[in-house]
Order: sequence, then C-alpha cells, then structure tokens
Amino acid sequence: MGKGKATVRLYKKEGNIIEILSFPNENVEKGDYLLIEDAEAQKALIAQVIDVQFANIPGILEELLRSLPDGGGTIQGEDVDPLEIAPHITYIQDSRLLICKIRATVEGDSLSPSTSWLPSRSQSSIRKLPIATLIKLAKINGNLPITLGVTKENSLLTIDASSLDGRLNIITGKKETGKSHLSKLLITSLLQYKAVVVVLDLNGEYTGLGFTSDGKRNAYYNKIHVLTPAQNFKVAIKQLHLNVILNILIHALHLPGTSAREFRRIWQHLKDKGCLTLHELGEAIRNWNCNQNVRDALFSRYYALVNSGFFTDNVAEATLLEECLFKAREEGGAVIINLRNTSPIDRQIVVEYLLGKLVELLTSWRLKAVFLFAEEAHLYLRETYWDDIVTRMRHFGIFTTFITNQPDTIRENIYRQADNIFLFNFTNEHDLEVVSRAARVDAETVKSIARDLPPHHCLVLGKVVKDFPIVVKVRALDVKTMGETRLFFTGAHSESTSQASPVEPYSAGENS
Amino acid sequence: MVIEQYTITATPKYNFPQNAIDTVPLRRLIELSIYSLRHVQNQAVQLKQQIQQTVLIQETLVAQHPTPPVQPIPLNPKTEPTTIAAVDTSSIKLGETGKGIIIAVRGTTVWKRGRNYAYLRVGPFIFHITEENLQEIYKTLLKAYFPEQNPQGAPGFLQIPLRMANLLERWLQASLAKTMSNGIILFDGSLTAGTPDTPTQQLKEVLASARSMGNAVLAFTKVTTLRFNGCLLTEAFPAYRPPCLVEVANIKPKPPLTLLGEVYVAKLARGNYAFRLDVDRELPAQKRVEAVEKLLGNDLIVHGYPETLRLAHILCTFTANEVIAMQHFIQQRYRLKIIDRPDMHRLLFGPFGKGESHCEAL
Repeated sequence: MGKGKATVRLYKKEGNIIEILSFPNENVEKGDYLLIEDAEAQKALIAQVIDVQFANIPGILEELLRSLPDGGGTIQGEDVDPLEIAPHITYIQDSRLLICKIRATVEGDSLSPSTSWLPSRSQSSIRKLPIATLIKLAKINGNLPITLGVTKENSLLTIDASSLDGRLNIITGKKETGKSHLSKLLITSLLQYKAVVVVLDLNGEYTGLGFTSDGKRNAYYNKIHVLTPAQNFKVAIKQLHLNVILNILIHALHLPGTSAREFRRIWQHLKDKGCLTLHELGEAIRNWNCNQNVRDALFSRYYALVNSGFFTDNVAEATLLEECLFKAREEGGAVIINLRNTSPIDRQIVVEYLLGKLVELLTSWRLKAVFLFAEEAHLYLRETYWDDIVTRMRHFGIFTTFITNQPDTIRENIYRQADNIFLFNFTNEHDLEVVSRAARVDAETVKSIARDLPPHHCLVLGKVVKDFPIVVKVRALDVKTMGETRLFFTGAHSESTSQASPVEPYSAGENS
Repeated sequence: MVIEQYTITATPKYNFPQNAIDTVPLRRLIELSIYSLRHVQNQAVQLKQQIQQTVLIQETLVAQHPTPPVQPIPLNPKTEPTTIAAVDTSSIKLGETGKGIIIAVRGTTVWKRGRNYAYLRVGPFIFHITEENLQEIYKTLLKAYFPEQNPQGAPGFLQIPLRMANLLERWLQASLAKTMSNGIILFDGSLTAGTPDTPTQQLKEVLASARSMGNAVLAFTKVTTLRFNGCLLTEAFPAYRPPCLVEVANIKPKPPLTLLGEVYVAKLARGNYAFRLDVDRELPAQKRVEAVEKLLGNDLIVHGYPETLRLAHILCTFTANEVIAMQHFIQQRYRLKIIDRPDMHRLLFGPFGKGESHCEAL
C-alpha cells in the first residue's frame, strides 16, 4: 500500500465498519488510516484500521491439521514444488482482513462525517493516509498549538489549546502508563498561553512542575504556586461566605439539616456582632440555646474544622489562594493544591472550599476561566459535584480534566459528556467497557486499540483530534518527577543486601 | 563388522531413496506442465463454481459369487523393525479456459521408520489440457514413466485429471518398489489390473520389482462393492474378533480385469471397521499374513486403517486454500483473466438448481 502496486481490496461494508482484504506485503497496523478513493464518485472515505485479523481462508484448518499425525509431533518431509506454488499458499494463508471504522468522507477539500455512500468495490483505490496529511485535512492543529508527541509515522501530533477550552477531558489508563506525564504536559502547555490552571494534586506529583529534572528552575517556575493546606494555604473564618461553610459542613462533614439551621443562626449572630473568629464560634456553640444533640453535632464538626488546621482567624495568613489566582490571571499560572499529607475528611473540606471559592470568583468575573485538573477525583469530590462540574460549573468557566487509573470511579454521565479522552493502555475488559461508554468514541475502537497501547502511548479521542482517534507517543517533558512510588529494594538497602549475599550465612568460624 | 546397508540412502533430513529414483519422468512432468501453461497466457479462465476433488475410484472389480470364507486368520503384531511406506495421489480441476481445462495433480509418499513419519510430496503440477495437447501430454508422460508399455488411447477431458494422477501414482509406486527393501508398501485401492488406468503389465512390473527387493505390497480399499450373501464384504463378518484377516477366495473377475492380489477382509482394529485388503498373490500365503502382522507391529492403526496410508492421502489432497493459491499462481504468472460465468442451473432454478457439477456428475 506504500509506493508499489496496492494489493488491498474492499471486501465488505456493514454499518460504518468496512472490511478490507490485505496481503502480507502490506504494512498496515491498528490505528492506521486508509483513504478509499472512488474516482468516479469523486469522493473518498477515510477509514481507520481498528483490528487486523487473518482472512477466513477456506481450507486453512485442514492445512494446519494435516501437518500433525496422530502422535501430535510435526511430520518431517520435503516438497518437490517445481512451479513454486508454496509461496502462493503462504501468501494466501497470511492474507489479512483489516477491520476499519469509517471516520469521514472527503469531497474536494472538505471533510464531512457522512458515511451514507458506498465506494466501488472493484474500482476503488485504497492507500494509507499519513497521519500528517490527516491532521492537515482535518485542521487539527490550530492557532494555539500544543505538541503532544509523535505518531507512529514519526510526525508530530499537535492539537489546538482552544480545543481544551470549555471542554471536559478525561485522562485514563492503567498505572504507570503516563497519565500524570500527559497532564503535566497539558498544564505546562496551557501555561504558555497564559491560562489559569488549578490542580488537585493527590500525591504531590505536580509540586515539581517549576523545576527541571535536575532540580533547576525552569521556565514555569514563576508560574507554579504550590499551596499545601494547613501550611501555606489557610482560610480566614471572617472571609468565608456562609454558603461555603455550610457546604463544607453538610457535604464534607455530613451535618444534618436541623443542626445546619442552628449553625446558620449562630454564624449570622456572630457576623452581626462582628466577632466571627474560630474561638468565638466555639464559644457560641457552647452557649447557644439549642437541643443538646444539635450542640453535640455542631461541636464535633467545629472540632473537625479546627483540627484540620485549614482555618485561621488571621486574615494575613489567608490571602495566598486569591493572590495566586490573580497573579495567574495576568500572566498565566498553575495553582497546585498539594493534598499529599491531607486526611480524607480534610481533603473534602479543602476541595469544597476551593470549588466554592472558584465559583465565587468566576461568577463575579474576577476570574475569566479556570482549567481544573483533578487526580483521582472520587477520593475527594462529593457525589453532587460530578454533575455540577460537567453542567453548571462549565458555564461559570471551570473546565475540568479528570485523571484516573480507575475509570469506573468516574460516573457514566461524565463519560457521556466528555469532549476529549486521552486513553492509555488498559487490558482489563471491564475498564475498557467503562471508557467505551463515552459519547465521542465507538466501543470497538476503544477496546481494540487501547488494549495494545505500549506505555507512554496514548489514544487521543474527541474534539482535540476532530473525532479522528490518533495514537501518539507522548513527548518527554523536562520537569522534576515527584510523587514516585516509594520502593523497598532501592538505595542503601539493596546495596547492603548485594554486598551481604556472597557471604556464607553460616561460616565454620561462627559455628565454632 | 559390516553395518547392514539399505538401498535407501540417507539425506541430511530423513531417509528416503531420492538418489535412486529415476528423475527423468519427474522432469518430463515439469516440462509438460510449463509447456502446457505457456499456451494459456492472457486467456480468460472460468473458475469452477464448485471445486470437485478427484479421488481415485478404488473399486474396479466385480465379484462373481465368492465362495463362503473359511475361518478367520488371527493376526499377531510383529514388532521387528520394518519400514512402512504408502503412496497416494490426487488431482483437481482448477478451471476452464476457452480451449480446455486447467488441472493440478500431486502425489505423496509417506514412510514410517521407527517412531517417525516422513514424507516426500511432488507437485502440484498444473496442466492446461486442450483438445490439441491432450494426446501429446498423456502419451509423453506414459512413455516417460513406463517406456516399455504400448501407448494406449488418451482419455477424454472428463477422465484426464484422474488418469494423470494415476500415472503419477504408478510412477511413485514403482520408484518405491525399486528402491525400498524388506518393507511394506501400502497402495490406496486394489490390485485389480486390466483397467484403462491400470494396465496389467504396469502393475505386474511394480509388484515384481517390490518382490525382488523383499517388499510386500498391501492395497487397502476404503469402499468396496464386493458382496457376500447380499451383505457388503466388509460388513459380513461382525462376529470375528480383530485383528484378523478373512480370506475371500475364488473371485472371478470379468475380463479384461485381472486380479493380481489375494483378496482379504482386514479387521485390524476394534470398532467393526473392515476393509478390503489385496496382498500380492505371488507372495506365499504365510508371507502375506506375515506382512499384515508386520504392518500391525510397526504402524499406528486408527479405525482399522494404517496411519501411513492415511497421511499419504491427507498430504496429497488439495485444500481449498491451496486451490486458491494455485489459481492465484496461474493468474499472476500467466495473466489469466478470471471470468465469472453465471451458473445456468442456479440462474434458472434458484435454490432448486443443483449446480453445474451436479449436472456433470449425472
């Protein structure tokens, strides 16, 4: 299918699946694009190979079986084949069926998703469509290019940053396939276009984004703001909006409705008095005229808030988040919320506060839009926020990218509304099944291609690639790797064991 | 001490009497194949809509009231090392051209020594047979294989695939008979001669060569029409316990048919599988039984049939895959244009049409 005479034939079409007969000399693999041109119709189909199978050649079973006698061993022998038919037999035996998914129709210079026409089986010419040509044809790279990496043809895959703008993205794949690496790449690329990025960093992986791999400051150093709850990220009680604290109490700390009503009164009372401090809040709960059970409920939540270390009475201590966000607004920047050493309850408190704050800043137009990167969001995002994020918050200007290695932790409706999916390798059938529910992708493509992706290779699906699934090897990024898995057999321990191993465990001298 | 020398010479891969084979007939086969195909270039070819593999018709003998058999001859497997060899061929019609037909033939020799099976497969040889070259090809081959034999009339189009395969089979049998020693040679079919495809002299010579080298020829017939008391011969003795032979004496073949073998019913394995077995009648009776016993002791017997012969059949049979490959070959090499002439039976009668091959068979 390259420069020589093409030996592929259109065999069958069912729905938007096309089957193409190909011979062993054709180098076609899963993920490749083919152009099926019908000169007479002056149209062409763009189809992607989603599976390569052996063609169902009649008599193949007999062919394989007859080389085995009853004993099961291989029978030795020689073929006197003067006409050299054997290579033809091998050629036929190795013929392949390319299962392709129709992606678009090319008519003149324009692309349309139509698959309603059928190219001629006998007259169509089929050739490989280089990814670089496809990218040009589909106008995948726009004005704000982000180079994700190289395709298997060694051409660069560059997407348009604006295709991430206002979109819901999912980065998923099994462990150690390169998900965090890609999200770092997207974050740093967005920073180049002065975007405001907030990262909910569960394992402290993103805290080194401002440094090169050898620990030096990189170009993003001044744009990376790492906030660690209870350390350099605190909230002054005075600055808190009642709705935000109530959300924290109800959703993160599960405060019942009756107690929440009492809390609302206490809060309002203290605010009116102008003495909204942690200490005063505690005293007010103690002295409030209410049912003892309500008081107990309020006290337990109050101590949870105090013990989190996240709240303070000192306003000067609590200005960093807004400062960072405003700074990022001007020149672009990423606020990394380091949740590494934060307990599950405190994580939820922090995230409730953060999302409330972001909505507050966005609704008042003090911020234009935020790209939110959320790692393993199920560990800190309350149930109702999922729908909020994909529907309501999008309108405020929060554009989320979920990063997870457990695709079933993201709800189905999120997948259905996801605009872009960056899919790394999955071998588990169940995981692939979950991801294949995404509206912008067909299940066959996900299941067939994602299963065979090598590490650091990503199947990009959705609007960023104009719905032409493309496999890319994600390019390297010179940032400091953080949050690596701590290993037992490393460093001094392994050295000491390697030195110890040649020594006899019981020497004669010791025994004597 | 002199190590026992076999006439079978060793090749690096396996033992087969290659060097001793007269390769002239093989060369002639290749030459004729290429010669016939050269005249087919750029023609249109109609592939057969239903590929029919031609297997050799195995039963040519009409029995005349065989006498009631005597007691079965019990068999005791003899394990003394003996080479078992078998020959089989097949032919197939690949398609039709405007002038004739394109056929392919292939032959296989399988042998077993010790625990190992090995094979030599010759072909496929593809021929374009036309009215003009039919006589020439057949007679040239016949002369190459059996120079002493008087050329008879060439067969017609319908018989030619079978007859070409038959010639190849006789040549492979003759080669084996001349080069192997003290072994058992298995033929597919019977030892009935005098038919157009098996001239008596031809078969006699093969058997004589085999005998002179100390070989015994056993011919197995898978399907027989011979009957005893209204029952098929192979189903007439259900009570006899295998392994055993039942001698069927006094069969009077209709002239010009000649019986060159003693006919037995061979029940070699449990499961009521019986076959007609012809053993070279020039061998003493004791040797004939002994040959079958050596076969039992040296070959696998599956469903009462020797594995070596089964393999020979399997290895020479054309699979659908090979047929496609051969059609691909002739199309590529000789630029044949494959045309798809409609099957008139299918066209006229739809699902009630049985197809051309059915019509031809009728």
